[in-house]
Amino acid sequence: MTDKRITIRAARFDPEKDKAPHPQSYDIPFSDDSMVVLDALNYIKAHVDGSLSYRWSCRMGICGSCGMMVNGTPKLTCAAFLRDYWPGPVTVAPLTNFPIVRDLVVDMEDFMHKLKSVKPWIIRKQEMPLGAGEHHQTMDQIDDFRQFSQCINCMLCYAACPVYGLDNDFLGPAAIALARRYNLDSRDQGTKIRLPVLAQSDGVWECSFVGECSVVCPKGVDPAKAIQQTKLDTTLRFVLPYGNRE
Amino acid sequence: MDFESYDVLVVGGGLAGIRAAIAVVEANPRLKIGMVSKVYPMRSHTVSAEGGAAAVLRPEDSYETHAFDTIKGSDYLADQDVVEAFVREAPIELIQMEHWGCPWSRDPDGKISARPFGGMTTWRTCFAADKTGFHMLHTVFQTSLKYPQIHRHDEAFVTKLLVDNGRCEGVVAVDMRSGRFEAITAKSVILATGGLGRVYAFTTNGNICTGDGMTLAYRAGVGLKDMEMVQFHPTGLPYTGILITEAVRGEGGYLLNKDGERFLKRYVPNKMELGPRDIISRAMVTEFEEGRGFEGPHGKFMHLDVRHLGEAAIDRKLPFMRELGREFVGIDIVKDPIPVRPVQHYMMGGVDADISGVTPLPGLYAAGECANVGLNGGNRLGSNSLSECLVFGAAAGRAAAEYSSSAKAVSSNPIEAMLKDERARIEAGYLDKKGGEERIGTIREEMQRDMDAGAGVFRTRESLEKLTKQLGALRERFTNIKIEDSSRTFNTELTAALELDFMLEVADTITYSALAREESRGAHSRRDFPERDDAKFLKHTIAFRTDEIAPRLEYRDVRITNFKPQARTY
Amino acid sequence: MSAEADSTAHVATRVYKPPMGAGWWTRKRHYFLYMVREFTALPMALWLLWFLIEIQRAGGGVKTYRPGASTAFVIFSVICLLFALYHSVTFLSLAGVIIRIKALDRPVPPRAIVVTMFGLWLVASIVIGAVLIGFGR
Repeated sequence: MTDKRITIRAARFDPEKDKAPHPQSYDIPFSDDSMVVLDALNYIKAHVDGSLSYRWSCRMGICGSCGMMVNGTPKLTCAAFLRDYWPGPVTVAPLTNFPIVRDLVVDMEDFMHKLKSVKPWIIRKQEMPLGAGEHHQTMDQIDDFRQFSQCINCMLCYAACPVYGLDNDFLGPAAIALARRYNLDSRDQGTKIRLPVLAQSDGVWECSFVGECSVVCPKGVDPAKAIQQTKLDTTLRFVLPYGNRE
Repeated sequence: MDFESYDVLVVGGGLAGIRAAIAVVEANPRLKIGMVSKVYPMRSHTVSAEGGAAAVLRPEDSYETHAFDTIKGSDYLADQDVVEAFVREAPIELIQMEHWGCPWSRDPDGKISARPFGGMTTWRTCFAADKTGFHMLHTVFQTSLKYPQIHRHDEAFVTKLLVDNGRCEGVVAVDMRSGRFEAITAKSVILATGGLGRVYAFTTNGNICTGDGMTLAYRAGVGLKDMEMVQFHPTGLPYTGILITEAVRGEGGYLLNKDGERFLKRYVPNKMELGPRDIISRAMVTEFEEGRGFEGPHGKFMHLDVRHLGEAAIDRKLPFMRELGREFVGIDIVKDPIPVRPVQHYMMGGVDADISGVTPLPGLYAAGECANVGLNGGNRLGSNSLSECLVFGAAAGRAAAEYSSSAKAVSSNPIEAMLKDERARIEAGYLDKKGGEERIGTIREEMQRDMDAGAGVFRTRESLEKLTKQLGALRERFTNIKIEDSSRTFNTELTAALELDFMLEVADTITYSALAREESRGAHSRRDFPERDDAKFLKHTIAFRTDEIAPRLEYRDVRITNFKPQARTY
Repeated sequence: MSAEADSTAHVATRVYKPPMGAGWWTRKRHYFLYMVREFTALPMALWLLWFLIEIQRAGGGVKTYRPGASTAFVIFSVICLLFALYHSVTFLSLAGVIIRIKALDRPVPPRAIVVTMFGLWLVASIVIGAVLIGFGR
């Protein structure tokens, strides 16, 4: 086994010292073909420079913590294999379009606020009592919204969306996909209630269908589809008589 | 001085924590609830759970069988009254989840479906494809957003419990974004901080599973119960440790050794691949030791084969497994067998708590994996844990709500002093520390390797005694760590150091408890004491912190109600 | 109401908001193609203006209007046609994913919808073309 090495150029930013982010290069062993960018960052932090800050947890692409820009593309670093970037160097930067808190860590508060704004919970006119058991739902009915329920809140779509970059008020792909998930759930009766947030000018109508969000989504949620479907839905509700039913 | 003050404070934002917070609101909507988590709640490790949540939902099932399966699965270390209450609450909780929007997979008639699972005599594991934890966490988290009573402190790292006059009154936490030290006070505190897998090198657990809540309680004088009971899941992917769900076996997968043999017929002939996790993990390690495992660059492994299930079934029931196989191993499970080996996965041991999450410290409650309420005993059955988080999260929430509704307010003077002291401790020990030669990463990796070797699937007195010495040496070296990150803004080196401090301490409770339990029961397997000894050890081990490294161990009888301990064969 | 230990209170956290820059769409092929697609609105608008002028000229009767003289218009029209086709193809391809219709309780597959959309487009083009040419004669 040859002693392969690879260079990682990580963005560094400490607001207490730096005016702006600057890259720092680290030369590390590329010891296993299964190594991912996250492994590289962990190696750096453990053995080279303990001050490098980034988020991560599950390392299996389900928690959504480790999203960063890898060579200019938003990726989950736990699923970005170094062998695909060989021989490197690999540039790792914080997700685009978000304020940078420190090194590779971005401010998520706007995103959290937007998720909440679409009322992502089951809304019913009348709650069913627990004693009545479950709502009946078929696998076909779940198929209706399944895709949009796969979002891990990794925010790669927001990093990819130039509209969000130009206008930070844009509701954004993940939030709209989540709203659509609930709108399509047969148990939910809240579409009309979610409408004002979705139909506002910073809602679905800000989207001009660049489509990059769906390209970068690691879970195949296809938020672009959710947004365009929502545009059609809100329009029909406006245009058709009795269209805005629950 | 004003402190952020709540009626109930939940530490940890996973399934148990969020369920507890919602339960408090439901019990008393006028209470103010705080939820502090070191990560945003969607990142909690619940998210990686895959297989399902067990409950008696079908007419052909019964509380008695679920209880018996659980008690037998626990190797009779479970407190039977707790189990009996659990099996009655679990179905209600799963229906509640359905009402909140959890996309349970369905039978053709539209009712919630169930699949077979390890150690369960009937099909009672409800599931949401093979991403059950993901869907459950997102369901409760999104539902929690509708309650204005719940105030979240995301990315705040709790360093210490505030205890005054024998009562738990809140926590000290570092706000990671600003580096500020905060005292968050509350009339009651619920610990829901999850497991401690990261004390081991090969674990399914995420980076955040470092036993924080357990050590916090331990340092506040609360006992840690059954810490020797560490679950090793039979099927983890080599190298990464990524979990391959038991549901793969539930749906009909075969475990094969290098001779292509379904070797479990020699260990659990009646249940085969659906035996309990501890027995299967031991079977696999035994097969490895006897030379019947495949050899690989990352250790020995077995094959988990689902090719005979067909693509349609795999895509319907195990789509995430197919994705993981493709992404991380480069295989298609429709056409290739999956390489798997036993991997640390769950902690049966935890904070000593009762059926309502009450700990011996007034005002402190615990629920979920960080607690040991007596449900899982020596070995947990798969799919009981997600239900456990709901049942005991809700129970702790209700108990804490009742307590807080009549508890006295927290007085701020002692809090101010405690906050000052804690801040001084961390600044002196970490943030302002100069010099030091040891790297945090090095100490952590050694601890993990030592734990894998000394307190793994099989243990001996020698391996455990050696481990106590190794851990002792690592604790010494830890006092000499160097901190390279001097920033107060999002300092993850500080949190890594604090987590390592927690882990070194909790690792000792595992090791000493294991040393003292001279029998084999459940997941705790001693080569030098291979038999179960009910006469001496039908008891819980409770570890209390002392001024020395070794904890003081006490024993408490297991509570038996309806199921007399028998030999445990499958 | 948030509490902190006093003194050595550390400076409020500053975040860095990177400026987006006007060349963001030059760095990725997908972004560039998107801008081209959006840009097609401009030549279409110009073409419509020019078309109005041509109509006005044609309104003046055989005396003022000589179609042959407007080769520039023809060339420009062809260019605009190409832009319009690019935009139309991307838009119609989308129809399959956006429109959710269920026939007999089963979702209609996207391909069927897209093919139908292109079909309708073809039909509409033929009809409009026939009308215009027919009236022109």
